Amino acid sequence: MANEQNDTITCTINGVQVTVPKGTRIIEAAEAAGVGIPHYCYHPGLSAPAMCRMCLVEVEGMPKLTPACVTTVADGQKILTESEKARAARNGVLEFYLVNHPLDCPICDQAGECKLQDYVHQEGRAHGRSQEGKRVFGRDDFGGDILYNGDRCIMCTRCVRFMREIAGDEILGVVQRGNRSVIDTFFDEGLERSNWAGNIVDICPVGALVSKDFLHKARAWDLDHTPSICPNCSQGCNIRIDTRDNLVQRFKPRANPDVNSYWMCDYGRLRYEGLNRGDRIEAPLVRDAQGNLVATSWQDAIVALVDRLREVRGTGPVVAVGSAVHGNEDNGLLGRLAELLGGGAAVFRSARADEEIPCPGFPKLARRRDLAPNVRGLEVLGFERTGDDAARGGLDAAATSRGVVLVLGDELADQPATFGADAALFVYLGTTLGPAARNAHFVLPVTTFAEQEGTFTNFEGRAQRFWPALQAPGLARPAWQVLGVLLAGLDETQAPASAADAFLLLAEFNDAFRGLSYEMLGPRGALLNESVKLAAGAAEVK
Amino acid sequence: MAYPYRHERETRVISAHFGDPEARTLKGWRERGGYAALEKALGMDRDAVIEEVKQSGLRGRGGAGFPTGMKWSFMPKDDGKPHYLLINSDESEPGAFKDRELCRWTPHQLIEGALIAAYAIRAVHVYIYMRGEFFEPAQIVARAIEEAYEAGIAGKNILGSGVDIDVTLHLGAGAYICGEETALMNSLEGRRGQPRIKPPFPAAVGAFGMPTTINNVETVSTVPHIIKNGGAWYRQWGTEKSPGTKLFNVSGHVVRRGNYELPLGFPLKDLIYDVCGGIRDGRKLKAVIPGGSSVPILSADEIDIAMDYESVAAAGSMLGTASVIVMDDRTNIVKQVRRMVEFYAHESCGQCTPCREGTAWLAKILRRIENGQGTEADLDTLLEIGRNMSGTTICVLSDSAAAPVASSIRKFRDDYLALIRRGTRVAVPAAV
Amino acid sequence: MSRESNAGAQTPKNPGWAGETGEFTHLTEADVRGTAYVGRRPPEGGHPSGACSYPYQRAERDPEAPLFEGPYRGRLEKILSRYPEKRAALLPTLAMAQEIRGHISPETMAEVARVLDLSPAYVRGVATFYTMYNKRPVGKYLIQVCTNVACNLCGADEVMAAFLDHIGVEPGEISEDGRFTVVEAECLGACGFPTAVQINERYFENVTPEDVPAILASLGASPEDASRGGEAAVPAGIGSEGDAEQD
Repeated sequence: MANEQNDTITCTINGVQVTVPKGTRIIEAAEAAGVGIPHYCYHPGLSAPAMCRMCLVEVEGMPKLTPACVTTVADGQKILTESEKARAARNGVLEFYLVNHPLDCPICDQAGECKLQDYVHQEGRAHGRSQEGKRVFGRDDFGGDILYNGDRCIMCTRCVRFMREIAGDEILGVVQRGNRSVIDTFFDEGLERSNWAGNIVDICPVGALVSKDFLHKARAWDLDHTPSICPNCSQGCNIRIDTRDNLVQRFKPRANPDVNSYWMCDYGRLRYEGLNRGDRIEAPLVRDAQGNLVATSWQDAIVALVDRLREVRGTGPVVAVGSAVHGNEDNGLLGRLAELLGGGAAVFRSARADEEIPCPGFPKLARRRDLAPNVRGLEVLGFERTGDDAARGGLDAAATSRGVVLVLGDELADQPATFGADAALFVYLGTTLGPAARNAHFVLPVTTFAEQEGTFTNFEGRAQRFWPALQAPGLARPAWQVLGVLLAGLDETQAPASAADAFLLLAEFNDAFRGLSYEMLGPRGALLNESVKLAAGAAEVK
Repeated sequence: MAYPYRHERETRVISAHFGDPEARTLKGWRERGGYAALEKALGMDRDAVIEEVKQSGLRGRGGAGFPTGMKWSFMPKDDGKPHYLLINSDESEPGAFKDRELCRWTPHQLIEGALIAAYAIRAVHVYIYMRGEFFEPAQIVARAIEEAYEAGIAGKNILGSGVDIDVTLHLGAGAYICGEETALMNSLEGRRGQPRIKPPFPAAVGAFGMPTTINNVETVSTVPHIIKNGGAWYRQWGTEKSPGTKLFNVSGHVVRRGNYELPLGFPLKDLIYDVCGGIRDGRKLKAVIPGGSSVPILSADEIDIAMDYESVAAAGSMLGTASVIVMDDRTNIVKQVRRMVEFYAHESCGQCTPCREGTAWLAKILRRIENGQGTEADLDTLLEIGRNMSGTTICVLSDSAAAPVASSIRKFRDDYLALIRRGTRVAVPAAV
Repeated sequence: MSRESNAGAQTPKNPGWAGETGEFTHLTEADVRGTAYVGRRPPEGGHPSGACSYPYQRAERDPEAPLFEGPYRGRLEKILSRYPEKRAALLPTLAMAQEIRGHISPETMAEVARVLDLSPAYVRGVATFYTMYNKRPVGKYLIQVCTNVACNLCGADEVMAAFLDHIGVEPGEISEDGRFTVVEAECLGACGFPTAVQINERYFENVTPEDVPAILASLGASPEDASRGGEAAVPAGIGSEGDAEQD
C-alpha cells in the first residue's frame, strides 16, 4: 500500500516484496530487493537513455517488456526479471552484441572485469549464430590516457554522457548512425584537456575504452583490491588500490556520495608510482660512535632511542616536522611526542597548485589546490604550515636547531646537507633516505599510507580510513606504531596495539577527534567535530 | 481528384485541386473556398474545435492511425507554457508519395489545417518539418507561408482574431527515422534524430520541453474540411472505426500508378484492378504490400480485403500510410525484401542494440541468400532475429525491418528455397 | 475523368520530368514544379518563416567562401529568430553552410559550432547522422538514383547502371570533369513515378535508361535553371561518410 505520509511504494520483484520511495526506478528497487538486473547504458551517476535494451523486465499487466532503468515502480506492481520472456530478451540482446564484437578476450585488458563476458557467461548463448563478416573500426587514440577500440564498442554511450554531464566538456560524440555508428572526438581534438576523462575507462562496460597507463600490464583476476584514499590532493577521493606482486598497478575510484560520487580525477588517478619505489629504508639505522649509520634491530633501536629521549626531555626546543602524506595517527602521535619532550614548534610543508580543477557535474568534487591528502588533518592536529607552494623552505629553525628535531616523512630534499647537524637529537622517520636525513641520529623505516591502516582528513574535515594494499618492505613499520612504542617508553603508558587504538588515542589530546572511532568512520568516513569542519571554499583561502 | 490519374470512384475532399496550379496560390485557394474554415474555427471555442475533429473520427494518416481528436485532447489547457504543433512532412516510407502532392498542389490547405489545429491545441508556433529532399515542394510551401503572413493569416492577430500563431518551415537533412514523432522533435531541436523514450509523452514534454502535438500532413490537410462541414459530414465515408477518405498511393506493377482519394474500406481488389487498371504488361499479381514497406506482405490470394485499419489488421498486415506496392509474378521477392531490409539498416539510428545490430545482420544474411550462398538454417535464423527485434526497442523501426522478412518467409518460402537450392553454400556449424 | 481500359491497352506513360503528366496533359513542367509561383528567393532569406528552407545542394559553390557574411549573415539572424534555442538552428545552419561551400568540412563544422555555442564534437555527431550533408566534396551535379523497392520493381538498378555507364564513374566518386557524382538513394517519396532521380534540388521522374543521355545533356544547359534560391539552380546534396558503400 502506498504510504501517504512517507511517500513510499510497495511492489514485488521476483516474489520479494520491497518498499521504496516514490519515483524509484525498477532497477534501483531491484537492487534494494537484492536482485541485480543486467544493464549497460544505465549508470546511477549519469542520465539513463534506455537504449542498450538489456534491462528489459516483465511487469504483470504490461504487454511489452519494459526497461527497468527508466520505468518507475508503481504501487502493487509485480515485476519479474527472470521470467522466460525477460531471459529470452536478454539472450537475444546479448547475441546481437556478439554479432560484431570481436573475440578479443585474449588481448583485451577488460577480460576478467568485463560486463559482456559476465552476462554472456551468465545467460547468453553458447554459440552466436552469425556467420557474417564483422564491421571493423580499428583503434583510435583519443588523447590523454585513453585508447578507444571501436570494434569492441557496444555503443552504450556512457562515455559520451559522462563527458557532457560530469566532465562538462563535450569532447566525445557518436558519429554516423546505425550499424556504422562509433564514438569519436572532433578529429584532432582529444581528451587530454579534461582532468576527468579517465573515468570513462571505469564506466566502459567492455574493453572499448582502455587506459594507456594500464595497457597490457596485468590481468584483472591477478589483481588484489584494497579500499583506500587518493593521496594526490586534499579532496580525499575514495579509491581502490589494485596491486599485483606487491606493486600498485592502478587506482580506481570508489563510490562515496558525500565526497567524490563515482569519480576521481586524472591527476590523482595516474600518480601512484611513488608507492612502488624500491629505494626504501628497510631497517632501523642508528648512528654509532664513529658517526656511521648502522642497521640494527627494532629492539635495539627503540631501547636506545627511548633512553636518549629521556635524556633530552625538557632540555631545549623541540621541532616536529610532520607530513601531509602520512595519516592522522602518524602525525598525531608525532605531535604528542614533541609535546612530551617539552613542546616547541610543529610544522609541515605541502605543495599547492595554482588552481583548483572543478568537476562541473558533481560540484562537491574538485582537484584541490593542496596536493596532499592530509593537509587539513595536520592543521587540525595543530601543525603549522610553512614553506612555499612548491613545499620548499620554511625549516630554518629545524635546520639549525640545537635541540630536538623530529622529522616524519618529509624527505628534506631542498634542505642543506647540514640540516640537523647541530641537533641534540635528530630522529628521522621516513620511507626513503633523503640526503639531509643522513645527519639523523636515528633513522626509522616507516610505511607509506598504502602499507598500513590509518586515516586522512580531507579539505572539508572528513576523516576517512585507508587500508594496507601493499606489504611493507623489510622492517618498515607504521609510524603510529613506532611513535606509540616511544611514547609508551617515555611516559609508561600502553602503546596502541592497532591503528584503531591509535585513532582513539588522538581523542585524548585533541577535541576534534572526540567521540569518533574506526567503526563509526566505516568505509565512507565522517566529519570531524563541528569546530573544525570548514566549507570547501574557506579551507583554500589562506 | 488524385494525381496524375483520376477515377470516377474517387471522393474528392483533400485532393480536389491536385493538378490545378492556381489552387496553390493564396488568391486561388480563397477562390476555391479556402480559409473560410479557419475563420469559422477562430470564432469557435478551442475545445469545440477539438470536439468536432473527435466527432469526425479522423485518424492519424501518418501510419499509426491514432484518433486525431483524442491526440489533441491530451494537450494541457491551462499550463501557461508555450505549445507547439509539428507537422510531420518527413514522408520517407518506401511506397509513400502522398504528402508531396499535398504540399506542392495545395500548400494553403496544409497551412489552413495547421492553423486550425494550432488554435485548437493552443499552440503558439507551427513547425512544418519537411524532409530535406523535398526542395521543390518546400519552396512552394515557403512561398505559401509568406503569402499567408502578408495577408495576416499567419503571425500576429490572425484574421483579426487576436490569436498569434507563427509558422516556420524547417527542412530535414536525410533521415527516415526523423519521421518518428519523437525523433522529429529531436531533429527539430538540432540533435541527432534519435527517438525518445516514452513516457514522457510529447503532449507533456515535447519540443523544447514544452507540450507538443505532431500530426501528419494528410491529417492536417483534412481538418479544414471537417471544420467547414462538420465532423458528422466526414463520417459519410469510410467505416465506423475508420471513417473518412484516404489518399491511397499505389506504386509498383500497376497500369496507373498514382494517388487516389477513396473512402476507407475500399476493396483492395478494386483498387488494383479497377482504379489502377490492373497489372502492367498483362502479368499476374504475386504480392502486395498494403501500407508501405514496414507492414507485412500480402500474397495474391489475400487481397480480398477492405482497406481500412481494422480489416487490414485482421488480414495480418497494417493499413499504415495506405502506400500500396504491387508486385507481379516476375518479382524476385528475396531481392525486394533484401532491398527493404538494407533500407532499414541504412536508416537505423543506432540507439537500440536489436535494431542496430539486427537490421545489418538481416541484410547480410539476405544478401547471402540472394547470391546463392544461403542455407535453410538461415531462414530459421532470420525468423528468430526478427522475433528478437520486435517489441524490444524504443521505436518500431526494428519491428518494421522484421515484418517483411517474416511475412515473406512465411508466404514465399519457395522463393527463398529456390535460391538456396540453386546455390553453392555448404551449411557450416554455428560454433567457431 | 477518363480512365484507360485495362486488358490489351497500351500502358500509358506516367508523368515524369519534362512535363509528362498522365491525364493532366495541359500542365507544363513549370506548372508541376511551381517555378513561377515560387519565383526568385532572395539569398538573405526573404520572409523569416522560410529562412530555414533553402535548397542546399547547388551546382555553384565555393569551399573557401565565408559562411556568415553578406546576405548569409542576415539569413542566419532570421533562422535564429525562429527557434527558442540556438541549438535548434543547427540543421538549417549546416544546410546553409553546404549551400555556400558544397560540403561540410571539419573547418565548417567548427565554425558552425562556434556561432551556435555548441561543441565541435557535438556538431560532428549531428552532421554525420544525416545523409544529406556531404562530408566530402561531390561533383557539381549530385545524381541520386532511388533504388528502393517501389522504384526497384520498375527497373531502378538499370537506371543506376545507365548513369554510371554514361558518365563513366563509380558510385560515390566524382567524375573526371568534376561535374557528376552518382549515388544510390533511399525512397525519394515519388514512388508513383519510378524511377525517381534527384539531381541537386530537382526531381526527375519516370526515368528510364533511355532518358539518361538527354537528362545529362540538359544539366546546366537550360537558362531556367537559374530560377531558384538566388543562384543558378540545381542544388547539391548527400554523401555521409561511407554512404556510397552499403554494408
